[in-house]
Amino acid sequence: MNRNDHVKTRFPIAGLIFTAMIAAVGGSAQAAPSIPDFSGLWARTTFGYDLAASGPGPLRNLARRSNGTSDAFKLVGDYHNPILKPGAAEVVRQHGEVSLASRSYPDLSNECRPLPPPYVLRIAQMQMLQEKDRVTILYIQDHQFRQVRLNTSHPAHVTPSWQGDSVGHYDGDTLVIDTIGIKTRPGSMIDMYGTPHSAALHVVERYRLIDGEAAKEAVERSEREYGRPTTEPVYVDFDYKGKGLQVRFTVHDEGTFTTPWSSAVTYRRSGSEWGEIACAENTSAYYPGATTTVPHADKPDF
Amino acid sequence: MARAILRRSVCGVIAGVVWMTLPAKAAQTAAAIPDFSGFWARTSLGFENPATGHGPLANLNHRANGASNLSLLAGDDKDPILKPQAAEVVRRLAEWGRRDEAFPQPSNQCLPYPPPYIASNNQEIQLIQLKDRVLILNMFDHQIRYVRLNAQHPAKLTPSWYGDSIGHYEAGALVIDTVGIKPGPFPMTDMMGTPFSKQLHVVERFALVDAATAKKFAERGEAENGVVAGLNGDGVEIDTEHQDKGLQLTVTVEDPGMLNGSWSGTVTYRRPLLDWAESVCAENPREYYAGRDTAIPHADKPDF
Repeated sequence: MNRNDHVKTRFPIAGLIFTAMIAAVGGSAQAAPSIPDFSGLWARTTFGYDLAASGPGPLRNLARRSNGTSDAFKLVGDYHNPILKPGAAEVVRQHGEVSLASRSYPDLSNECRPLPPPYVLRIAQMQMLQEKDRVTILYIQDHQFRQVRLNTSHPAHVTPSWQGDSVGHYDGDTLVIDTIGIKTRPGSMIDMYGTPHSAALHVVERYRLIDGEAAKEAVERSEREYGRPTTEPVYVDFDYKGKGLQVRFTVHDEGTFTTPWSSAVTYRRSGSEWGEIACAENTSAYYPGATTTVPHADKPDF
Repeated sequence: MARAILRRSVCGVIAGVVWMTLPAKAAQTAAAIPDFSGFWARTSLGFENPATGHGPLANLNHRANGASNLSLLAGDDKDPILKPQAAEVVRRLAEWGRRDEAFPQPSNQCLPYPPPYIASNNQEIQLIQLKDRVLILNMFDHQIRYVRLNAQHPAKLTPSWYGDSIGHYEAGALVIDTVGIKPGPFPMTDMMGTPFSKQLHVVERFALVDAATAKKFAERGEAENGVVAGLNGDGVEIDTEHQDKGLQLTVTVEDPGMLNGSWSGTVTYRRPLLDWAESVCAENPREYYAGRDTAIPHADKPDF
């Protein structure tokens, strides 16, 4: 570990009042009616972001299956998307070439690295723990979690980290999370097409409960674009009629994009238990029928 | 194993019934439930020896100051608590240490750390106490353990890296009972590589201790296992001026498949000066034995 790579921020430990915390996280004693209850397991069936109906939006996969959906095994981001500055477009184009050759390019996900926002939204299952002065977001993939400090500001000097420095506040029925300080490394990316980012990356996420029918429609719309994964478990409880969780997000990065752009992802209630997914023991290469050849010894060392 | 789980399940049911018969509010009062919130840190690794009873396996290699040499791990394979097959594993792993080589273990293979190994090889934790569960967040490789409160182990367990953990509050302490820990590729309960079997059963007890006690135990841990952090702005500096309570974890380990009895040890945390650092195993090229970074292959020309 590089122990110098840390965000030197002060967490207001002294501000935690335990009894109030229990009430806040329990989900049953929401004294403040304006704070939405995001508790429980949430899941989605696709990895991509919702395409924009209008205005600047995320990249679309140029590689399609015969049924018209995005080909998850050939990730060719639309490098002609006008949100991309030339340097970023070239990186996306080159990633696409690698993928078209049926090879995996290094991705934060297959390199077992933490996924920064908004890329972390690709993970299929998550839960949110709401406390009085922070929100912790847990992700099923490789036991990742993010911590969001509430009602505070970013420190004057942020040491870049994989998940950046996140602060948040409730705006009516919406949790707004503002993240900066996401470090750049070779292979840094904000989506599955390898779209790079610079140190100027700034992500604003807005989490809000939506009507169950609206969530169902949003998920189905996403599946029409991306298809339902065939190599991953599906965690969504399709019979659940209650509310869904929608995250609208806006990405600002003058070093990479010509303009801010926005998108959304929608979660529905998960019908699965929260399992263990350890990245380091995953040998799947995900291309159909492919499994990484792990070196082995015929005789144990000990 | 099945019987052991059944026994624990029955106890869990009884405890659960007792718990459920208590008035809900009374059972959840702040007085009954200690507040473990915030960051907790320590500057050493390993377990502190208990005042009485059998302690953790000793490292036979020591530094000049008498502390365990964590860069040269050679567990005491003659410790009578080890069954022969466990002693043989410890002996072979110690040979690696004597050759100045690191033997594979969860921390250098970027695998999840099973309990109690995770307590011995980590420096900062947070406990998030919810109504029906407790989450233990670990700084090393952002690992999370989930503890279901006032529940019982399922009759049929699918072994997992962290096992199945249930807990309850008892006399100001959080008591966690874990079974079902899978013996993965490198099953070990400590940094000496003491192996475990499917019968591993770990009981952890988290309790607040006063600042003086925390200091005493933490300093004992540093004397026994050395100071390995908190020196270079690494996020685990102890706040020596603002200590109210410390957090002490007592682990008790039994494993009829590998051990002749149970052993226990403590890990004592204090308040750190800063937030914790991001610690990502997959990007760590450090060879702690050799005191250098691994020579990672590189290309002079980028692929694209």
